[in-house]
Amino acid sequence: MKLTHLALLIGLAFGITEARGDRLVIKGSDTLGAKLVPQLAEQFKAQHPGTTFDIAAEGSTTGIAAIIDGTAEIGMSSRRAKTSEVGAAAAKGKHMKPTIVAFDGIAVIVNSANPIKGLTKKQVEQIFTGDVTDWSAVGGSGGKISIYTRNTSSGTYSDFKELAMKKRDYAGGSQKMAGNEQIAAEVGKNPNGVGYVGMAYTKAGGVKVMPIDSVTPSVKTVQGHSYSYWRPTFYYTNGEPSGLAKEFLDFTIGSGGQKIVAQVGFVPIK
Amino acid sequence: MFVKKLMFAAVAFCFVFGGIAARAQDAGALLDLLVKKKLITDQEAEEVRGELVKESAETSAGKWKLSSPITELELYGDLRLRYQYNGGRTDNTPVQPPGAGVAGTHDWQERERERYRVRIGLRGTLADDWFFGIRLETNTNNRSTNVTFGGDSNNGPFSKNDDGINVGQAYLGYKGFPDFTFTGGRMPNPLINTAMVWDPDINPEGLAEQWKHTFNITFGGGGGAEAVQSYSKEGYSKEGKGVVTAQAAGEPFKLKIDVFANFAQFVYDDANPENPLGARSTTTGNGGKQLIPTTDAFLLAWQVGARFTFPKNIYFQIAPTLYNYTGNGDTFNIHYQGGDPFLTNAKSLAQNQTGINSLLVLDVPAEIGWKIGELPMRIFGDFAVNFNADDRANAAGHSGFGDQRYAFQIGAGIGQLKAKHDWQIEAAYQLSEQYALDPNLVDDDIFDGRLNMQGVIVRAGYALSDAVIFNLTYNYGWRYNKNLGTGGGPVAIAINPLQDYQFFVADLNIKF
Repeated sequence: MKLTHLALLIGLAFGITEARGDRLVIKGSDTLGAKLVPQLAEQFKAQHPGTTFDIAAEGSTTGIAAIIDGTAEIGMSSRRAKTSEVGAAAAKGKHMKPTIVAFDGIAVIVNSANPIKGLTKKQVEQIFTGDVTDWSAVGGSGGKISIYTRNTSSGTYSDFKELAMKKRDYAGGSQKMAGNEQIAAEVGKNPNGVGYVGMAYTKAGGVKVMPIDSVTPSVKTVQGHSYSYWRPTFYYTNGEPSGLAKEFLDFTIGSGGQKIVAQVGFVPIK
Repeated sequence: MFVKKLMFAAVAFCFVFGGIAARAQDAGALLDLLVKKKLITDQEAEEVRGELVKESAETSAGKWKLSSPITELELYGDLRLRYQYNGGRTDNTPVQPPGAGVAGTHDWQERERERYRVRIGLRGTLADDWFFGIRLETNTNNRSTNVTFGGDSNNGPFSKNDDGINVGQAYLGYKGFPDFTFTGGRMPNPLINTAMVWDPDINPEGLAEQWKHTFNITFGGGGGAEAVQSYSKEGYSKEGKGVVTAQAAGEPFKLKIDVFANFAQFVYDDANPENPLGARSTTTGNGGKQLIPTTDAFLLAWQVGARFTFPKNIYFQIAPTLYNYTGNGDTFNIHYQGGDPFLTNAKSLAQNQTGINSLLVLDVPAEIGWKIGELPMRIFGDFAVNFNADDRANAAGHSGFGDQRYAFQIGAGIGQLKAKHDWQIEAAYQLSEQYALDPNLVDDDIFDGRLNMQGVIVRAGYALSDAVIFNLTYNYGWRYNKNLGTGGGPVAIAINPLQDYQFFVADLNIKF
């Protein structure tokens, strides 16, 4: 009788392990999680029948927090983990291991009706910090500038502050959007709008990409790091990944995954 | 391949073992360069960066979490142990019936105390040119941060009744405009003055606007005079940045002039409430029946000055300041009397010692300094005059003494206390007439914070280490005008008029 129970328990345990092993929980960056990772997951599922994904794209901060809390196997992030986050992970015995899965360029977009042809880094800083509030101050035809940014849990939000704004605060009147697509949509509707999105979101209707200091974000300028607002994007894992997480990570940085990276509009790592 | 691995290992080694916290922040640029040179890949750079951040996060410094708007933060403070002696003597005081605590003629009151003080502060700069500062201090007195050992009367020996920590400074400011600094709150004194006028322990409350501009003028050396203006942004607590001037051939004579203007609006006394229920309160303290003011009293100060720095470490600084008051508030509305030698000690002490009526004071502190070899020397002085002294004397009931309106200090110093084994000696003579100054602001370490006193002050200090300084201070004062009391306080000695006064302290001060 006792042996029967033991066998049953062992069987259940293995069964549970097997079931959990087919399910991969990924949380984090909207930049990665809105388009790229779902498409990677679809392709991966096609090659690994029975695998299921639980993807939540609510910002890089949530992805890093999920690794610290152990509620996800992969944390998507469009920014590097902060010292405080790495410290919090270490306090819980976790090791935040970053793996670059794609490069991205943060593109500054304006409404396609805006006559302005390009911006300098200084002008971008002035616009997003509120130092200038009218398009005429940066060579436009006039009109009060409407600024659209990501929300504060977004890695792009903090990356852009660091890359383009010398870590200064955003202008008081800037409007915070939940994702890249919302920013592109709002800028596309507002002739005086300006915002920033990952390169994968620059094809939205009604917007155009601004060259920065005469350099346009592209595969070449981002891979060569000549575009000022380039950045790596990451999968964070707790130490070296294993099991399904490792398989998916390997797939992402492999030739098949990188092909999708390029198709979606990101820049492959090589 | 070998070179690549070697570089990778070298970078990791250098940063991990070469001062983790600082190096982690500096690593980015070098790693980016190595990637650009194709010596390492982006992923390898990222792994090194990740390791550095992890190591940094596990250091003591890395565990401090600072909010992102803070761009610079400084923890500072000091701890001081002190032995203090105060002694004062009456003169021909009319004698009351004898008893405990009653002053006799030529009677000494002496106090010996062992004391400590703690001051600990945080000051920093924020994004967009803002700054802030907070300092906690022992003692609730505006002119003292000392706590006396064994001074508690309740809860048994070694109790903590008087060991509380209070907010000594809490201020914020903005320095986004070239040469300007704006500060609000309870702040370090923004005015340049001496202890004759303003006790260094007093941190005023209100607003201050400061402007400072540097002119660098080069004479000779193959050309005419050339002025170079500096627009360096100086921190609230930082030394001015060096300014590069055009170099002329030969040996030009270089003159640096720092011109400054400091303006202050300090809330001296807050009347509360401004609009009381019912009829306004009255007082008979000034003779007759008067309404007590219901408006705040502001201390206003206007200071314009300059510091001239000549070649060979010679400098001269002068900072004329005008102090005025917008009213008396509800706390200081009784007219200043300052004691009377023809009353008993108790009655003389009971006269008003704090009134701020009829004070329009011009103060002119100045200092000239030079070096002989590496030894700095200086002569310093301060002169003050109260233009409304006649009214102040009249209100005090001494209408013939309106000429008691001047105060001055003159002294010399040698040495400095900046590093281990440094030493310094200073000596000064000071005279403050009865109606010259605000008695609430003068330094109580000099003649017990009294007016109508003159005397000498001697200080000597030695730096036992870069952070530990041993100081000795002595001053001896005596009454100046025999027909007047010694107004102000009393802070330590309950005698008025104070015929003779002695003060001695030995301080061991640790700064951090």
